[in-house]
Formats: sequence, C-alpha cells, structure tokens
Amino acid sequence: MKSISALKNVHQKGHFGDFQDKNKKDLLKIYEIKNLLIVQIAQYKNSNISLNNIAIDNLNLKDETSNVTCNTDTRILWNGPKNWLLVSSKLDLLENIVNAFPSSDFAVTDLSHSRAIIEIEGKEALEVLKKGCPFNFNLLKKNNSINSIYNGIAFTVDLINTNPDKLRLFTLRSFGESLHHSITDASLEFGFESI
Amino acid sequence: MLYIKCPHCGWRSQNEFSYGGDATVKRPELGKDISDQDWNNFVYNRKSLRGRHWELWQHLSGCRQWIKVERDTATHEIFNTLKATEEIS
Repeated sequence: MKSISALKNVHQKGHFGDFQDKNKKDLLKIYEIKNLLIVQIAQYKNSNISLNNIAIDNLNLKDETSNVTCNTDTRILWNGPKNWLLVSSKLDLLENIVNAFPSSDFAVTDLSHSRAIIEIEGKEALEVLKKGCPFNFNLLKKNNSINSIYNGIAFTVDLINTNPDKLRLFTLRSFGESLHHSITDASLEFGFESI
Repeated sequence: MLYIKCPHCGWRSQNEFSYGGDATVKRPELGKDISDQDWNNFVYNRKSLRGRHWELWQHLSGCRQWIKVERDTATHEIFNTLKATEEIS
C-alpha cells in the first residue's frame, strides 16, 4: 500500500495559480512522495541502553531536539524524547531495524502505510508553511525536523535542503488530502508546478 | 498568540498543546487505607483558583510529552514550565 498514492484523488500534475510570466525554474514545485519505508522507533522510559552502539544504515540515533541524522537514502528524525521516525528509500531495511533494536528496550512500528508525504521545493516554500503553521521557521535549519500543525492538521516537517528550500511534509494518510488542499491553496499566490 | 516553552522542543504555539488539569493533585499512596472523601477529592474535587497555578499540559501536536506549566489563570501569563518528572519547587 505504501506504493499506492495517498493523494490519488487530489494531486494533479500541471501548473497552477499565479505562474504565468514567471521563470519556470523558480516556480514552487510540489511532489507526492511514496514508496518509502517509515518506521517509528520508541525507547522505553526505563531503558538505559546506550544509543551509541546502535547504527542503522551507518546512522546513530541522537536524542537531540529537532535533530535529523541522514545519508542519501535514510533520514532519522527526532520525534520527541526517546522517539524517532526513520524514513528510508531502502525498503529492505526493516529487518535490520527489528534486529538492531532489542524488543526489551524499544518498540519498533512500521508506519509505511499510514502516512501521506508531500514534498515542496522553492524559495517561497517556507512562506507557504508560515501561512498555516504557528512555528517560527527562522529557527529551522537544514536537517532539522519538527512536529507541528498546519491549519489544525498535525504534521511533521523535515527541512531536507536550503537554497532553495526543500521540505518534506508527513501527515496521517487520512489527513493527506486535507493537508494537500491546504498547501496547494496557500501556494496559489506564488504559482506552483505540481509534479 | 500565546506561546508555551516546551522543556523538550522550545517555544511553541499554545495551539499545539492540550490542557490536562491540575498538576498539584497527588494520587493517594498505594496500599494505604483511603477514605471515600479522600478518593472523592482526588478524582473529582478541584479548586478554581484565580492567579498563579501549576497545570498539566500535553504537547499533543509536538513531542507528545506531558509537561507542567505555571500559569496565571486570570491573565494567561506563563511563568515557568517543567518536565512532567520534575518536582515543583
């Protein structure tokens, strides 16, 4: 199901909003991302196991606010104290994860089927987010992630790149169409290309 | 917009939080004889204070952790926040 579009009914390709007379290269780009492995890793409160000895795809978990450890395929997002969201294009990583984290200390949950993912890229990408999210985006740096709300919809923001800004937005699959509607609505002012 | 400093995430909008009740209520100790009145007080009876008050809040749309917040119930001014495991001094 992770390869089946969560936004099939709403994500239409083309140019929308105020895109005319603008350089196509500078337009906001909105993608739907699918077929990713998404795993929630939660360490139990009474667990004292060291995180330094555990690596997934050569990445360690870091219990630091907003921290994202990443390589080209895999990103591990800090979700809260002792709680991480691992997102990877390596779909066969799940077995390694289950083996690496002992069930006595960690809860590992495959959430690949339960998220809708929107990627937004362009120099106005943060402006689009500021329209519906109360977070101070001046604080968000490259390879940071936050959980917040957009027009009342709970979502996760992962700043993948800057110059131009490239952000990945995760929400519950059932909220995906609402979030997509909100994001595209806010993007009309700038004009955007839906890919 | 009212902002609350989450001890885990930093300054966040109050919209991300959910109110969770009085933070000063202590559960009666396990294994001790508790009168009906004490249980009643623990479960139901709350004071409606005006002024500074410690409350429980949950960062529901953020790190999902419970925190303690010292808030003025009249002005909504927030003075202090603590992790749920930290004791109120």
